[in-house]
Amino acid sequence: MNKDELKALVAQLLGELHQEPTVKAGDYKPTCHIEDATLPDITKINLRQQYLVEQPKNPKAFLDLKAKTPARLGVGKAGPRYRTSTLLRFRADHAAAQDSVFKVIGEDFAKEHGLIPLKTRCKDKDEYLTRPDLGRVFDEVNQKVIAGTWKGARVMIVIGDGLSSAAIEANAIDCAAAIRQGLQAAGITIDKIPFIQFCRVGAGDHIGDLTGCELLCLLVGERPGLVTSESMSAYITYRPHKGIPEAKRTVVSNIHSQGIPAVEAGAHIAALMETMLKQKASGLDLKQELSHEG
Amino acid sequence: MKDALLSVGIDVGTSTTQLVFSRLHIRNEANAFSVPEFNITDKEILYRSRIHFTPLLSERVIDAEGVRRIVDSEYESAGISKSQVQTGAVIITGETARKDNAQEVLRALAGYAGDFVVATAGPALESVLAGKGSGAEEYSRKARCSVVNLDIGGGTTNFALFENGRLQDTGCLNVGGRLMKFEKGRCVYLSPVLQPYFTETSDPWEVAVFLSEILEEALELRQGKRYLDFVTDKLCKPAELISFSGGVADLIHHSHPDPFAYGDLGVLLGKAISQSRLCQDEHELQAKETIRATVIGAGLHTTELSGSTIFYRNMDFPLKDLPVARLSPEEEALPQEELIPRIQQKLELLAPDNGPCVLSLQGLSNPRFSELCKLADTISLSMEQRSPLLLCLERDTGKALGQALHCLQPKKPLLCLDSLSLPDSSYLDVAAPIAGGQVLPVVIKTLVL
Repeated sequence: MNKDELKALVAQLLGELHQEPTVKAGDYKPTCHIEDATLPDITKINLRQQYLVEQPKNPKAFLDLKAKTPARLGVGKAGPRYRTSTLLRFRADHAAAQDSVFKVIGEDFAKEHGLIPLKTRCKDKDEYLTRPDLGRVFDEVNQKVIAGTWKGARVMIVIGDGLSSAAIEANAIDCAAAIRQGLQAAGITIDKIPFIQFCRVGAGDHIGDLTGCELLCLLVGERPGLVTSESMSAYITYRPHKGIPEAKRTVVSNIHSQGIPAVEAGAHIAALMETMLKQKASGLDLKQELSHEG
Repeated sequence: MKDALLSVGIDVGTSTTQLVFSRLHIRNEANAFSVPEFNITDKEILYRSRIHFTPLLSERVIDAEGVRRIVDSEYESAGISKSQVQTGAVIITGETARKDNAQEVLRALAGYAGDFVVATAGPALESVLAGKGSGAEEYSRKARCSVVNLDIGGGTTNFALFENGRLQDTGCLNVGGRLMKFEKGRCVYLSPVLQPYFTETSDPWEVAVFLSEILEEALELRQGKRYLDFVTDKLCKPAELISFSGGVADLIHHSHPDPFAYGDLGVLLGKAISQSRLCQDEHELQAKETIRATVIGAGLHTTELSGSTIFYRNMDFPLKDLPVARLSPEEEALPQEELIPRIQQKLELLAPDNGPCVLSLQGLSNPRFSELCKLADTISLSMEQRSPLLLCLERDTGKALGQALHCLQPKKPLLCLDSLSLPDSSYLDVAAPIAGGQVLPVVIKTLVL
């Protein structure tokens, strides 16, 4: 484009600016019909069964692959971008992840389920997120409750909010009940279960020091991702104490409705704990064998 | 954690008897931070026997002692002793299964089949094993397409249709290489199924072309209804690709100079098929295994693994020929007072006098602990008189349900499997636990001889 052409173009644009618009803002009447209804909840769609590519060659084959992964594949496109539904779903899942980190569950949850409420040295959620060290220790009041209630206990189940309150609300109670039942069958009774607010995995080590328990299983919310905000882990430690190497813990992760169901995980954990008591070990020291005797 | 199973497959067919030894490798594929997930990760063939003609005493009687001698000599040349074999299957296939003394043959082989080898037959199973052994299943899974495998043996052709790696359909036709037998170029046997169409003096090439046309009709590559006279079991739908296995498959692409080299119609039938519409390039898939497809299927593809979180107490393994009573999802949803008599009735039908019987159900999806205990209570009440308690769930809640049942009936032997779908009127065999007791190899059968 040369100089003259450019001039002509600018002149044309300026000319258009002075013309009256065909529809004035005040005359604009929206034609769409507004209803007072609720939009369908897009987070209810199972992504593994959703395939948005238009005119696919073999949609069944793609859905077979999708059934095996939570990845957001086969989402189609709108020009070079995601479709609106894909983008909204992504933002909804992200919001759910954030909510489950920041949501506080505390004494009410403990009371409702007959748990004994405890709190680490964190004052609030912000301090919990910025000071991991404080989420691993208890103040003197809490220390007294712990020592007073569980000193001398051989085996403990502990529930802590961790990084996902939603995970604990969804899974912890059923999982703990299944563990308790399994241990009961092996002759091990679990009496009271504490619920720890603002809990890091290391909090169990402090409890180990305070009670001298032999085996401790901590059910704790996992850092949420975009797949689910309800995933819980169990950290099981033989002879927990402050400073114990992480390699001495056995972890069972991915406990949620799309992963391993809470009750099935509980039965598995109970069998694992039985094996640990027999082998007197956890983590990498544990030989992978499961007890089917009883 | 790794483990391996030594598996045997023995196929006593209409024309040939074969055997393979294989090793099934088992590994925990879950990461170290998850609940274990054992799978059969590799299937390795250790030994393929020679291909023996099935010894017959007459048209209707198999030489059981002859079959036993063949198997014995093959164990010896493989250098494998009977006690080493952990799993596998003996199958009697094709027209042979209809011989009068199939049972006796199985009894003669019982000792060779280790502690846990399944004896079985039936056209549907045969089709499936050949389809898996030929590689048709694997190809359809990897290439995401539909493949129909035609296992063309002496007496029958077995069809198995796989779509995206999943079995969709099976079928069987009376088309095979030994429907006509010859001595010195003269016909000495004409199968009854051919008698409405041909006589012993008919031109064998015309018979072979006729049979290839029957196959074309069955796969809708040719119009016509003559094939309906040849259906033995049921018919299979057509697919994008066709693969061939069985004895005749080798003769499709490698013709033999002597048309009566095997004293039957095989060479001519192979040639007729190679010139037919079945063998057009765009839909023919080269099978990985041909004459050995069925025996490899029997050795490699009959054993499955239970889920990796299961529950058992006081059980003696192996368990054999357990009948399966299946609850439909609608029945599972019934209220307790209706469900208990329903379960009792089902079990009573299959296993009267409190004999062993597996209750197969879908199970609960991510249940609350209280829901699980309620189900355990229902099952416990309906199986109060039975021992052992045998259960199999589809959904991964077997360990939790087993544990809950164990608490209700602590003394009773109990087995609760999961991640397996057992159809109604099937039979289940369960081998001794492997991988440190975490998982059980099983074989699901559709028929018990």
